[in-house]
Amino acid sequence: MQILAEAEDLPKTANIKTQLVSLWTAPVFGVVLLIAFLAFPGFFPPMSPDMTAEQVAKFYSDHTALIRFSMITFNLCGIMLLPFFIVIVIQMKRMATQSHVFAYCYLTAAVSGATLFALADIFYLVAAFRPDRNPELVMLLNDMAWMIFIAPVGAFVAMNLLLGAAVYFDDGPSPVFPRWVGHYAIATALAMAPAAGAAVFATGPLAWNGVVSFWLRNAAFALFVVVMFFVLRNVLHRQAVDEGVAT
Amino acid sequence: MSAQSSSSTDVADAGRVPRAGKRDVWLVFWIVPAFYTAFGVIFFALARVMPPPRPDVTTDQMVHFFHAHALTIKIGFGILVLIVGGAGIANGIVAYHMKRMTVGSVMAYCYLGAMSVGALPGCLLVAFCFLTAVYRPGRDPQLLALLYDLGLLSYVGSLGCFATAYFAFAVAILYDKNEIFPKWLAYVSIWQIVTEIMAVPVFVSKAGPFAWNGSIAFWLGVVVFGFWLSCVIVFLMKATERQPVDEPPLD
Amino acid sequence: MANAEQTAADLDAAAASSVSSAARQRTLHTPGDGHMWVMVLGDLIIFGAYFIIFMVHRAMKPQEFLASEVHLNINIGVLNTLVLLASSWFIARSVQAARADDHAQARRLTYLGGLCGVAFILIKAYEWSTKIDQGYTISTNEFFMFYYMLTGVHLFHVSLGLLILSITLRELRNPRRCRLFMVEAGATYWHMVDLLWIVIFALLYVMR
Repeated sequence: MQILAEAEDLPKTANIKTQLVSLWTAPVFGVVLLIAFLAFPGFFPPMSPDMTAEQVAKFYSDHTALIRFSMITFNLCGIMLLPFFIVIVIQMKRMATQSHVFAYCYLTAAVSGATLFALADIFYLVAAFRPDRNPELVMLLNDMAWMIFIAPVGAFVAMNLLLGAAVYFDDGPSPVFPRWVGHYAIATALAMAPAAGAAVFATGPLAWNGVVSFWLRNAAFALFVVVMFFVLRNVLHRQAVDEGVAT
Repeated sequence: MSAQSSSSTDVADAGRVPRAGKRDVWLVFWIVPAFYTAFGVIFFALARVMPPPRPDVTTDQMVHFFHAHALTIKIGFGILVLIVGGAGIANGIVAYHMKRMTVGSVMAYCYLGAMSVGALPGCLLVAFCFLTAVYRPGRDPQLLALLYDLGLLSYVGSLGCFATAYFAFAVAILYDKNEIFPKWLAYVSIWQIVTEIMAVPVFVSKAGPFAWNGSIAFWLGVVVFGFWLSCVIVFLMKATERQPVDEPPLD
Repeated sequence: MANAEQTAADLDAAAASSVSSAARQRTLHTPGDGHMWVMVLGDLIIFGAYFIIFMVHRAMKPQEFLASEVHLNINIGVLNTLVLLASSWFIARSVQAARADDHAQARRLTYLGGLCGVAFILIKAYEWSTKIDQGYTISTNEFFMFYYMLTGVHLFHVSLGLLILSITLRELRNPRRCRLFMVEAGATYWHMVDLLWIVIFALLYVMR
């Protein structure tokens, strides 16, 4: 996008620029978080809830360095995905044929979901902190870590249902998002919702290491970020052109 | 009213420093230093987390810590649980003034969101870990040790949420043409991000400058945070002062 | 041939801008803007505190620190220092070019300075990977924790510096106006990053 020289100092240009900055934090930190995800020794395959306390304690003492590297990276960089979702909030507020209620609900849901994500890595790190801790307690921390990482899908489900509703309600002459984004958001919500079962089931596809709760949930989330990055890039470009800020 | 008398009133007004600002914003503003003063008293004097007790102690020493400070922990964190809304208010007024910048609302919502995220792992988790630890006398020492570690690691080690908030704050200030906050405050916020990075080793180190009570990972972070917070409070006051009384409500 | 053309072009540019730069020189100004100086001075103070704490801990365990320091590759350290010094030289010359209103040259030099910055990061990444391969990680001992944390936070500053240089480049590319204070502020920051590295190099690699 080429910002027009005349529009350099306008407030609406700064609005576009800060949205662009927020948008681009997603791929930059997305790559970092992907590396952290790949580095964690307990994701390939994901640790089983069946592991005994001794096995869990051994896992933490055998792989302390990589566990720490991975989870510290999640700690430091995980919330840097929040600006990306705030761009969606801003774009929802631009929808002409509705009030801003969906946008504000989306904002609070995003914050509550991010809070739980910020909490999960702390439990992994505490479990790795003292290798001589009672294995039963290490397993307790590990249980909480996994459950808090995988199961809290409610916020993201709500966010996507809200986005879907907002897109469907945005039926004026110039909708912000293409209509398929609404369908895609709902589909993502449905793909992630079953992972709530990780809080309850200890075996099968809904357990925290299961195909549905781990792989489908995380893949759906990652894909959503990738797809919406390109969608939002186009949306921002159109906003800039519409407002006379760029060509 | 004749033109002459109104112009003389204008001259008189120009001589006085205009104490503008909206009264509801002023009300909210004064809650901020009040809250952080109480916060300081609680965290430094009562709850015993500033400075935090050492990580390189035995389980028995951790038990003794909770036993010795049970009363002040209960008073301090008990009060915090009641007044912690003040943190939300402080974040809210910063986000409000950020919305008055020319950069639009995206960074304001980021700041609001990221700071809200931080409230749980970075502040309330240690409160409830410690309150639980002192709740029942005679709890198994190993459980107390777990609460000790969980509380203090989450308190000192909640890094990214605040780093994101400082990032949003810095970017907004640097792009803002309304000069709501001075540009150098953006750079102070970047120092805050540096202190978050320097706290990374608390998950590894049990003693020395990089432990959760260390000179670099903790104390320097506290000093820089104290400076940042003081600047923010001062400039919140200036921003509130300079806001025209008749400024229309924000979108 | 090309040199002669360039010299002639330089002279023309210099003559054309001699009035403006002379006028500028008459008004002494602090290079960059005050805000960046706050950043630089504050950052130097904070890093100064880190360096003092390093010295204190070194004095507490001189044998351990000395024994660990030997394992650092001083050649890579020297290489990094030279790369960063070169980048500072490019950036300093780019400010001179910007002051002489030769924006094309200033851009070229900024690119070169940035390239050196990227080289610094790559060399540092290589150095870290060799150390980790040899078994010296952040949890090996206190010296290595200092090593990784000081070089790591410095790397963060280098990355920030690359971001700032890209903003400088955008400023220099803008035909309508090129704010000199922005170019100078970026250079000020970059020189600070270089200065910090020299102290880190001296403390971690050289001091015996």
